[in-house]
Amino acid sequence: MPAAYAPPAELDARVPMPRGRRATELLMLAFAVAVVLFAYASVGFGLNGKLPSGLPVYGLAFAALMLAAHLAVRWLAPWADPLLLPLAALLNGLGIVMIYRLQQSGRDGNPGNVISTLSASATELQVIWSAVGVAAFVLVLAVIREPRVLQRYTYTLGALGLILLAVPALLPASMSEVNGAKVWIIVGGFSIQPEEFAKLALAVFFAGYLVAKRDVLALAGRRVLGIDLPRGRDLGPVVIAWVASLLILVFETDIGTSALFFGLVVVMIYIATQRTSWLIIGLLLFVAGTYLASVLFGHVGQRVTDWLHPFAGNNATHSAYQLVQGLEGMAYGGVLGTGLGHGQPFWTPLVQSDFIFTAFGEEIGLTGLMALLLIFGLIVQRGLRAAVTVKDPFAKLLAAGLSFVLALQVFVIVGGVTGLIPLTGITTPFLSQGGSSLVASWALIALLMRISDTGRRPAPQPIQDEGMTQVVRAG
Amino acid sequence: MNRALLRVSLACLVMFVLLLLNVNYVQAFDSTSLANEPGNIRVFNEQFQYQRGTIYAGPDTKIAESRLVKGTSTYKRYYPQAAVYAPVTGYDSVYGKTGIELAENNDLSGSSAGLQVHNLISLFTGKQKQGASVYLTISPKAQQAAYTALAAQGKPGAVVALDPTTGAILAMASYPTFNPNDYTTLDGKKLVRIDDRLRAEKSQPLLNRAINATYPPGSTFKIVTGSAAFSTRAVSGPSTTVPAPTRFQLPGSTTVLINNDGESCENGNPPIIDAFLLSCNTAFAKLGIRVGGAALRTYANKFGMNEPDLSVPLPVSPSIIPALTDPDYIALSAIGQFDDAVTPLQEAMFAAAIANGGKLMTPYLVQQVLAADLSPVQQAQPKVLSVPVSSQVASDMQQLMYAVTHNPDGTAYGTASPGVAGVSIAGKTGTAQNGVNNTNLDDAVFTCYAPTSSPKIAVGVIIQGGGYGAAAAAPIAVKVIQAYLGIT
Repeated sequence: MPAAYAPPAELDARVPMPRGRRATELLMLAFAVAVVLFAYASVGFGLNGKLPSGLPVYGLAFAALMLAAHLAVRWLAPWADPLLLPLAALLNGLGIVMIYRLQQSGRDGNPGNVISTLSASATELQVIWSAVGVAAFVLVLAVIREPRVLQRYTYTLGALGLILLAVPALLPASMSEVNGAKVWIIVGGFSIQPEEFAKLALAVFFAGYLVAKRDVLALAGRRVLGIDLPRGRDLGPVVIAWVASLLILVFETDIGTSALFFGLVVVMIYIATQRTSWLIIGLLLFVAGTYLASVLFGHVGQRVTDWLHPFAGNNATHSAYQLVQGLEGMAYGGVLGTGLGHGQPFWTPLVQSDFIFTAFGEEIGLTGLMALLLIFGLIVQRGLRAAVTVKDPFAKLLAAGLSFVLALQVFVIVGGVTGLIPLTGITTPFLSQGGSSLVASWALIALLMRISDTGRRPAPQPIQDEGMTQVVRAG
Repeated sequence: MNRALLRVSLACLVMFVLLLLNVNYVQAFDSTSLANEPGNIRVFNEQFQYQRGTIYAGPDTKIAESRLVKGTSTYKRYYPQAAVYAPVTGYDSVYGKTGIELAENNDLSGSSAGLQVHNLISLFTGKQKQGASVYLTISPKAQQAAYTALAAQGKPGAVVALDPTTGAILAMASYPTFNPNDYTTLDGKKLVRIDDRLRAEKSQPLLNRAINATYPPGSTFKIVTGSAAFSTRAVSGPSTTVPAPTRFQLPGSTTVLINNDGESCENGNPPIIDAFLLSCNTAFAKLGIRVGGAALRTYANKFGMNEPDLSVPLPVSPSIIPALTDPDYIALSAIGQFDDAVTPLQEAMFAAAIANGGKLMTPYLVQQVLAADLSPVQQAQPKVLSVPVSSQVASDMQQLMYAVTHNPDGTAYGTASPGVAGVSIAGKTGTAQNGVNNTNLDDAVFTCYAPTSSPKIAVGVIIQGGGYGAAAAAPIAVKVIQAYLGIT
C-alpha cells in the first residue's frame, strides 16, 4: 500500500489510538469458561443425576489456566485480537468435557460400555495437556516478540518439519504405530504425534521461503487457455511438496496428513504469487496422486468405497463400521441432541479421538455442531483478518497459511466423520483427546495472536514540537 | 497479496458452508432413515435404557413390568404370572416382540403420537422418559381359572371369555404355552438358543391357540345354521318341527350322515328345539340345504367368520366357512364339519352375539392406556361389529341354547346345568371329527353364556382331541364362569 503523506490539520491533535480490547477478551473468556463449566455440570446430571465430583478442582484449574493465558496476553501481546483466546478456550474446555463424558460411560454405574481405549484418568491427562498447551501458548508469545524473528529460522524450521514428518515412517512399528496409524513417536510410554508440530514448522518455512522467492515463482512462462503457466524450472518446490506428501501417504498410510500438507503448500504458493495456475497445477497433482493411491493401495480404495456405500454389503459391520456408528450417533442426536450424558456415543470405536465430533453431534445435536463449526470458522476468520491487517509479507503469509491449514484440517476430519468426503484419520483441533494436537493448536493460536498483535499495534506516536521531523505512518 | 487472501477466505467459507450443510443433512433430513437402518445399535439399545410401560390385567394386576437390573441402569422385562398370561402379553425380547408387547409397543415404549407432548415435558423437566401403562380388559380371576382348568386336563386347547355387552375380552388362555421370562435375557446368543428350542417343540407352545389356531366347530355351528333358518323364515319358531331322519344320504353323494351314534332323533320329525338340545345332525344338515350355502355363509360372516382383518389388537386368524354350491358339502358344513374352521375366540363370539340380543360387539383387549403421569392416552369405546340376527331370532336361539343345559336330555345337562354350575348357563356342545378320514381324536368344543337372565360372560372352549364337548370342554367353561361371577 502506498504511503501517502498528508500533514495533519492540527499537529497537536491526538492520533486516535486503536483500543487493545483486553477487557472484551476477559469478558468473552469468562463467558467461555462459564459455558464449559455448565457443560461439565450438565454431563454429571445427564449421567447420574448429580454434579461431577471433579467439578471444583477441574473447574478451578481450567478457569485459572485461562486467566493465566489472558494475563500473558495483556503482558505480551496487548494489541492482539480479543476473540482468538476465548474461542480456543471454549473449544479446549468442551473437548475436556466430552472426554470426561466418554471416560465415564460404563464407569461408576453410568450407562453404556467402558470405552476400552480410554483410561479412567483420561480427563485428568487432558487437563494436564491443556496446561502444557497454555504454557506453549505463553512461551510462543514470550519468545517470539515479532513475527520476523521466525523468518531467520526459515530453513532450520523447514528441515525440522521434514524430519518430524519422516521420523514415524523410519521408526519400527512398535515405536510409531497406534491403531494402524504410523504417525507417532513412542519413547518409553510417552508418545507424541510429530505431524502436529511439523505442520507449524513447515508453515513457517514456506512463509519464509516464498517471501524470498515469490517474484521468481510469479514469473510467467507460457500462456495456455488464458492462464499463465509458471516456468518449468520453477516447479521444483511444488513437486517436492507433492512427492513428500505422497511419501507420507505410502509410508504412514495417512491420507489426511498428506492432503493437509499438500493443501498448505499449494495455497501458500498461490497467496505469495497470486498466480491461479499454481492452484490448478496443485489440484491436478493432488487428484492424480490420490487416484494413483486409491488404485495402488487397498486401504485408500476401501475408504472411498466406504464413503460412497457405507451400508452396502457388509461394509456397515466391517470396514465402514466406525463411520456408520458415527453417522447413526449423529442421527440419534437429531436437531437438539440427546443432552450431554444421555446419548450412546460409546458404540463408536475410538470416539474420543477422530470421531469426537460425532459424539458432540449425538449429545448436543445439530444445534451444537453448527455452533462448534461457527467457532472454528470464527478462529479461521480472525486468523485471516490478522493476515489482512499485518503489513509484513512474511507475517501475512504465515497467518494466512496457519489459518488455512486449520480450516483444511477441520474440513478434512469433520467432513470425513460426517460422510461429506472419504474418511481420513486426523485429529479435530482442540477437541480430540491427545496432547500433541492440543499443544500444537495452542501454539498455532499464539502465532496468530502474535501476528494480530503486530498488525493492530499502533504506530509510534509522532513526537510533538520537533519542527519538521514527522513520523510517517505507512498505509 | 490481499486479493489472493480474499479468495482463500472465500475458499474457507465454502468449506465451512459445505460442512454446515452436510451436518444439517445428516441430522435433520437423513436422521429418520439412519435410525431405521437395520442394526442401528443405538435405537436397539434405547429400549433398555428407560422404563417401559406396565401391562395390567384389570385395574391392578401387573402382568408385565420393567424392573431395574441391580447395579446397572438397564431395565429388564418381568412377567409375574408367566404362563397364565403368555398368550396375552406375548414377550419383549432384544430380537422381537409378540402379543400386546408388540401391538401396544408405541404406547409401552412411549413413542406413540399421543405421548409426544408428555415426552417434550419430560425433556424440559429433566425427568426420564417413561412408557405408558396399558390396562387390559382381562379379568385375572377368569384368566387364572381358564389357564388352571386347561393345564389340569393336559390336552392342547384354548379358552376365550368375552363380555357379551361390550366385547371386552375377559380371558384368553392357551395351553400348552411358554414362559415369556425366558425371552427377557439380554444375552442374544442365549435368546436364540431358547427361541430355537421353543420353535422346534412339537406341542407348539408359542402358538396362541385362542386366536391363531382354527378347529372344526362341529355341532356348535348349529347356532349359525339355526340362526339362518329362523332369520330366513325357513323355521318359524323353536317349537316348529323339522325333519330329522336317522340316516340321511347326502344328495349327489354316497355318504350317509347319521346322528351321533346312529340313534334316531325322537320321532324323526322333532321340534327344532329338541333337535338342537339333542344335537341331531340330520336335522341341521337338511336345514342347511334348505337355507342354501350362500345364506349359510352370509350368516356365518355376520357372526364374524371369514374376517381377515380382525385385531383385538392382536391379529386374529380368520375363522373359515368356504363358499359352497354342492348340497352334500353344504349339509356337512351346516353341522360344522367339512372345511369349517373356527378359533376359540369365534366360538365365544357365537354365544356373545346371541346373549347380547343379536348384536355382536367387536372384541377388544385394551381397556385404557395411561401415561406415566396417569393422564389418559387412550380409552376403549365398545363398538358393534355386526348384527347377525334380529332380537327376535336371538331370543329364539337363546331358548334353544337354554334347553341344552336345562333340559335333562340336553347334551350339556350333565356338566353345565344350574345344579352343577350354580348358575343358569345357556350353551351348545360340539364334538368335531377331524383329521384325514376323521381318524384323529374328536375335538371337544363348547360355547356358552351366563347368567341367562342378564348375560355377563360368554365363553368359547376348544380342546384338541378332547372327545365329547360336553365332557371335556363344558366343565372348563363352567369353571371360568364360576370364577368370573364369584360362584363357589
